[in-house]
Amino acid sequence: MAEQVRRNPVREAISLRRRIARLEAEVQECRALNIRLAELTDIVTELLLPVAARDEEKLAELLEKYRQSV
Amino acid sequence: MALESRAVSRVSDVTVDAEGVRARSRQEAVLDVFFDGRRILSFWLHRDGVRDGRGWLLAWPRTLHEFLDGTAEVRVVVTRTGQEVFRREVGFGSARGRVAVVNRNGQPISLDKYLKRVVAFENRSAEELQPLLDAIDEVIAALKDVGTEAFLAWGTLLGAHREGRVIGNDADADVAYVSRYTHPVDVIRESFRMQRQLVEHGYHITRYSALAFKVDVDEGDGVVRGLDVFGGFFMDGNLHLMGEIREPFEESWIHPLGTTTLEGRTFPAPADPDRVLEAMYGASWRVPDPAFHFAPPATTVRRLNGWFRGLRVGRAKWDRVYSRKQRPLPDEPSALAAWAAEREPSAATYVDLGCGRGADVLWMAARGVPSVGLDFQPRSYAEAAARGGQDAEFWRCNLLELRDVLPAGAELARRAGPRLLVARHLVDTLGPDARQHLWRLSRMILAGAGGGRLYLEFLARFGEDGYAKELHVKRRRTRALVAELEQAGATVVHRETIRVSDSPKSSKVGRMVVEWRREDG
Repeated sequence: MAEQVRRNPVREAISLRRRIARLEAEVQECRALNIRLAELTDIVTELLLPVAARDEEKLAELLEKYRQSV
Repeated sequence: MALESRAVSRVSDVTVDAEGVRARSRQEAVLDVFFDGRRILSFWLHRDGVRDGRGWLLAWPRTLHEFLDGTAEVRVVVTRTGQEVFRREVGFGSARGRVAVVNRNGQPISLDKYLKRVVAFENRSAEELQPLLDAIDEVIAALKDVGTEAFLAWGTLLGAHREGRVIGNDADADVAYVSRYTHPVDVIRESFRMQRQLVEHGYHITRYSALAFKVDVDEGDGVVRGLDVFGGFFMDGNLHLMGEIREPFEESWIHPLGTTTLEGRTFPAPADPDRVLEAMYGASWRVPDPAFHFAPPATTVRRLNGWFRGLRVGRAKWDRVYSRKQRPLPDEPSALAAWAAEREPSAATYVDLGCGRGADVLWMAARGVPSVGLDFQPRSYAEAAARGGQDAEFWRCNLLELRDVLPAGAELARRAGPRLLVARHLVDTLGPDARQHLWRLSRMILAGAGGGRLYLEFLARFGEDGYAKELHVKRRRTRALVAELEQAGATVVHRETIRVSDSPKSSKVGRMVVEWRREDG
């Protein structure tokens, strides 16, 4: 297969073009993880302490406060 | 793309009629169009026009059509040289009066560089500018309070540094800051923290992206002005600044901040405004160009999009829908809500996902079921929220932001069960990312003690009855949705398809009842 592609420059160009498009899409997918990671870290750092302390009342209060500040 | 700074464009054969502006010029030229002495729009002849014989035609933009009725003395001027290339009385439509390009409040409006209607600074008096300058001061001070050194940016910096005043064709004010962090995750987290702190200070914030937001400043008398705050950071020797810049840059060209003067008042500016303006507007930033378009390289757009954008997909459409005059809020429930309520008589909490105007939330609350409506656009449920009632709550929730989705899920999971979740014509407006978050949110809410079920309704077949257009929805394939739900750990316990009317070409909606069972993992 690779041999065939190499022998046909037009096909190789098309194949490379497709591969670049796929790679670009995959790079964008990776970049989008930055927002997800930041969101998750923000939520965890803001809300985890009362969870660890098992402070039910404080947690309810913090959840509401967090939601309203977004 | 920038205009050759030395090229002098010779513009000839200019004519203006009801269709638009025609002109010839071998070189690109920026032209200003005036009606009765007031600038209405500016454009690039080749970029914005279309070929018309040996010249070019700029057809009147759609945003101007409704005003073009009557007579106006139209002048066309070459921006760069001030040379007048056309002046004549031109008649439009059948009206006998003068053409009046004004908004609903009677304020003169013009078109900005993207041909959107704005109340430009050139149409405001010096006194009218004061509240804007106060607002800039206030936002910069508020940002300083939360530890961020902001400076004038974009058109506001350009006006201040080039002319000491606001740019006539500009219509808003921008500030920016450059973070000390150097990784997208850290600058996003910083932006989230800034937002939280500004909310604590009493400001209303609208987020544009993970690195830019708008701060509403109350100017008194019910006037609220939004100022845009753009974040930036250095990475790999490049300055990245929302929304268009990625350039090799020295940190010393930004920090420590200096000052600049705008309309006689002093504001913070980057250390080297020349360099910043060159990064923003290109080498020809000193030459006024009211029709300037940003054209950052694709690599910059891809990076800024990939890192920071995607939180507002599909928003413009719903903003338009809810800015129109609405019909009276119905007292009757939707067929789906009525059907779901009948099937779930023991529901202790009702959650309307994508509640829109919120009529079903009010109806369920009136039946004594504590109800919460979620929608990303608070304007949609404003009327229902004002009517309110003890058992009806409305929360803003953007399914594209985990900071909205996860806390809402956690809070609603703690409400009394069983919970009845209803999403009427929601999955048929959402893209795949938002749908994944919808499944996650539903699963979280239903995982709380007492469990519950999710009821979905969506367009399953286009008819010839205008149903899809009226509801602004796209068709969804039942089989694909079922597969997606099963992938998300759900079980579809009921499904059916219903005609929305008796007409033979009626649209059909699909309905599903969905559970997340513990054994589904």
